[in-house]
Amino acid sequence: MDRYDVIVIGAGNGGLGAACKVLNAGKTCLVCEKHNLPGGFATSFVRGRFEFEASLHEFNGIGTPEQPGSTRLLFEELGIADRIEWIQLKDAYHLISEAEGYDYVMPFGWEAFAKANNRIHPDGEKYINEFFNLCRQIKEAMAYLSECKGKPDPQVMMEKYPDYLACGSYSVKEAFEALGYPKEIVDNLNTYWCYLGADANNLSFLHYANMIYSYFSMGATIPKHRSHELALAFEERIHELGGDIWFNSEVVKILTDEDGHVCGIRLRDGREVQSRHVIANCSPHIVYGKLLDSEAVPERAIKLTNFRKLAGRGFTVFLGLSKSAEELGLKDHNYFIYDTTDNVKQYESMKSIGNTAAQATVCLNNADPDCSPEGTCIVYMTTLFTDDSWSSVDEEDYFKTKNKVAASMIRRFEKATGTNLHDHIEEIAIASPETYARYCGHPQGTVYGYESQYYDGLMNRIQMVEEDRFVPGLRIGGGYGERLLGYPSSFKSGVNEAGRTLRDIEKEGR
Amino acid sequence: MAFKRSNVPGEDIKLAMGMTAKRRQLIDETPATPLVYEYGVNRLAKALHPGYVKALIADKVSCSADCWKITLASAGGVFPYFRAGQFITLSCKAGESFLSRPYSIISSPKDALAGKLEIMVQRKGLFSSFLIDEAPEGTELWVGEPSGDFHHDDIRDRGHILAIAGGSGVTPFLSMIKAVSEGSEKFRLTLVYGARTRAHIPFDPDAFKCDGVDAVIVLSEEEAEGYRHGFITADLLSEYIDDDTSVFMCGPDAMYRFVRGELQGLGFDPSRIRQERNSVGDRKVDEIKHFNLIVHIRDAVYELDAANNETLITALERAGIPAVVRCRNGSCGFCHSRVLNGEYFIAAKDDFRRSADKKFNYIHPCSTYPESDIEIDIPIMNP
Repeated sequence: MDRYDVIVIGAGNGGLGAACKVLNAGKTCLVCEKHNLPGGFATSFVRGRFEFEASLHEFNGIGTPEQPGSTRLLFEELGIADRIEWIQLKDAYHLISEAEGYDYVMPFGWEAFAKANNRIHPDGEKYINEFFNLCRQIKEAMAYLSECKGKPDPQVMMEKYPDYLACGSYSVKEAFEALGYPKEIVDNLNTYWCYLGADANNLSFLHYANMIYSYFSMGATIPKHRSHELALAFEERIHELGGDIWFNSEVVKILTDEDGHVCGIRLRDGREVQSRHVIANCSPHIVYGKLLDSEAVPERAIKLTNFRKLAGRGFTVFLGLSKSAEELGLKDHNYFIYDTTDNVKQYESMKSIGNTAAQATVCLNNADPDCSPEGTCIVYMTTLFTDDSWSSVDEEDYFKTKNKVAASMIRRFEKATGTNLHDHIEEIAIASPETYARYCGHPQGTVYGYESQYYDGLMNRIQMVEEDRFVPGLRIGGGYGERLLGYPSSFKSGVNEAGRTLRDIEKEGR
Repeated sequence: MAFKRSNVPGEDIKLAMGMTAKRRQLIDETPATPLVYEYGVNRLAKALHPGYVKALIADKVSCSADCWKITLASAGGVFPYFRAGQFITLSCKAGESFLSRPYSIISSPKDALAGKLEIMVQRKGLFSSFLIDEAPEGTELWVGEPSGDFHHDDIRDRGHILAIAGGSGVTPFLSMIKAVSEGSEKFRLTLVYGARTRAHIPFDPDAFKCDGVDAVIVLSEEEAEGYRHGFITADLLSEYIDDDTSVFMCGPDAMYRFVRGELQGLGFDPSRIRQERNSVGDRKVDEIKHFNLIVHIRDAVYELDAANNETLITALERAGIPAVVRCRNGSCGFCHSRVLNGEYFIAAKDDFRRSADKKFNYIHPCSTYPESDIEIDIPIMNP
């Protein structure tokens, strides 16, 4: 077929979500993916006798069948929920921060987490209860706003969500200052910052509060068969609904007609496919800088793109170890190892290659004991780079540079946890920003879309979503979208853009 | 609640309400500098992983009874930089078939940047005979990007590689010694190479006599000065194992079984042994059966014959369908394909699929044999 109602560029989380939404509405849809697999960052790979998860640490938003989270509900709506086997994680994290001497494990669950905070401050529980009450109001306000499609009743907002309104302009740092909590409590509540990758000066408090509340109140999960299971569940559903996915099929051009409306795409091999509607699951930097002819890009689209800041570039070390987690002394699933919990400092030090001030490390076997053969385990350590230091590395230095960074991350982990990993490394793979750029094409190896900046945070993006779109027939969703980065957000953003595309189609039909 | 950036009542709410207007203003004030077309990190990614590179056969030299060294020149003047020990795939139309085969690179990483790649081709089957007998200098081929994890890693591996090879299995080590001598890799290497006689050695043993590199050649059917006689036994191996040794093996499966047994006898840690995987070939079956194979590539559909003793990739190639394939041993996942219906067989030792692939019925056609009529959806080959 050479004509579809909708073409989706990229089979990442956002693209897969978008395609399912479009197909569920009875429209025809083609997904073009440049790689030979669906999923984008949501994938896995095999080395020797190990299968490594490529990116996921803790999936939030699933909840349990009895108390489903918003992403489980979304998956149910799309018809993929039953295809995925979830594993519930026990603890949120093990935080080790050198500067403050922190070394503790925090559980999931409002009550359990609040109680655990008594171990770090005598009034910990009290502060956390107060904080979570605020978070709950924020979450409910967001749900209300989403329900009334951004047109709330001001009276309701003032009466039910006054604190939400009051803290709307606050950064995380400003909010914690205003709340006046003790440093130990604030430091603990700041732990999850690296999942959003923006420092406390820039990160929107509403966004962050909503996220950590979600994590602690609902817990987190991982798919039993790595995140590749998610991608294949979506692919299966797309085929079931009559959709097509073409792999090894990189879109090099979004075609527009004389009215500036989208009319199709061109693939790298020259083949053209027609459609009046394209949902791009990739970076606006690529869409406006490369995929559209420059005449089709209005000046304001360029300004908006220049205004935004590329978020963290990814770096991960994957280790297949020839000893079990128990033998190695690894008790926890998720470790945050920081030089300091001052994330403004951490963010700064992540600008150059050589510092590894922060790492989020997973020992997968502590969530899923069967994930590797008996007597072995899988560990992966992730950090971010917050600037373009990798863009000046050349071919001949590349392998040495990434091994140097990987070695220092392994040493840092060993020192913090008192373990020995390096003597038992049977398989190693290292993903640098170059690797992420290779597989997903994102500028500079960005894995987190656009950074949550003070004026480019969650609420601003949601409110201005129509204003931030310029080419008729084209919508952009996924990790660069209005919900920002992360698994649940990128699915949701793709689905939202598909919903808007369906409305565009409906308007056209009238 | 204690939010108060301002003591003026309602000021916080006003600030929150003003966020979008401020954002709008900031976007207005941002210059419309043209967007960058290619970013530094993406340039490096493209340089290291360009996909298929067009190349020409520049030279062919016979180097033993059944081995030829073939020099490839990049049409674009450069091949991607690689890790010594990695392989490339060569693809081209040979007669009615479209064939791809993996070959270990025997030249050095720096040679690649100068546009030169060397491989060693042993006469074995269709494609090697085509390269040796029918492809003259100047023949155009597609070269797939360097792949594989059979290379030294200074985090995982020890500083000394005991390289054990048989037959054309010496090839990845030829690249490694060049990498060591040009300084692009840093480790010590001792090659232990088993051959029947001196005439069966497809390389110059003197090439291994440089700083940090040594070669021990073990002849099983000839006694000669400067050569060891017999087999690669535990006794012999123990002479070359120190506290800082990782073993790398490349050769036939029978050699792997034998050497692993010998190393086990020495108490050598098996997680310190790496072996290059061999191609999955035809399998023995009681009765050769022919099945109908339906193949989807994007919106094109092909119907062809597939035999139960041959892998699906063999059937595709024979029919002249350009099918993506890289390692041919089931491990790299490049030919990852969806099964719509039909039965198949994958030997456990060749099954490197992800667990979700098994759950949702995906295969790697290079390691999969049909057991019934079968319908698959494969990714397009897109040079």
